[in-house]
Amino acid sequence: MDINSASVIAAALAIGLAAIGPGIGQGNASGQAVAGIARQPEAEGKIRGTLLLTLAFMESLTIYGLVVALVLLFANPFV
Amino acid sequence: MSQSPSALSNQSPETTEKQQEKLTQESSPSNEQGNSMTEYYELQRTLYIYTLTLMGLIFVPVWYFYSLNTALNYLLGALVSLVYLRFLAKDVERLGQQEQRIGGKGLGIFAILIIVASKWQQLSILPVFLGFLTYKGGIIFYMLQSVFSASGELDSEITNTNVSEESSPK
Repeated sequence: MDINSASVIAAALAIGLAAIGPGIGQGNASGQAVAGIARQPEAEGKIRGTLLLTLAFMESLTIYGLVVALVLLFANPFV
Repeated sequence: MSQSPSALSNQSPETTEKQQEKLTQESSPSNEQGNSMTEYYELQRTLYIYTLTLMGLIFVPVWYFYSLNTALNYLLGALVSLVYLRFLAKDVERLGQQEQRIGGKGLGIFAILIIVASKWQQLSILPVFLGFLTYKGGIIFYMLQSVFSASGELDSEITNTNVSEESSPK
């Protein structure tokens, strides 16, 4: 297997694996937030604010995987 | 705020109706929701301000210690992070009202940024990526500030309680 093929497979694995955890976490967080808003509409602003902060942290994990994948594809240091 | 029914019955019918209308408006769910969402918009604005401040604070030292080109790369990443934060905030605002994915557009513009940075010779990936992480610095700063302000309030409450307990006659 040459380095190009290995890089493409590594990029696919990087983005794929990096998306699993945050995907599950974001889904859970959003679902719970919507349930919370439905239960307590007066706390909507607080719930949405907390959700924004947590989603920003969770999504950065996907971003790290995305960066590794894009660097492997477009600016590979081993090629 | 609320008046007893007997107090209301002593006033003229017009005044009572107006007061009841006012009370209804104040306690209506839509009004509460509006007040609650104000808190969310305030949080958004605070995050933008912190990110912009951090951007300005980091831009100057990068220009001084590295070069203008690196500093502009950093600035580009930081500006895209602001746009990303805006998209994320809009997605969270619309959550539960429309069926949609969260963060799709934001990740899209970030991917475009990294691809452009890797293809275009004048841009380098590392400063752009580190510039993109500026929004996270803003969020961490906001969270630290809220944690410390909350703990400060708790401390002052405990102190006030202790003082009032000591000063009260036994």
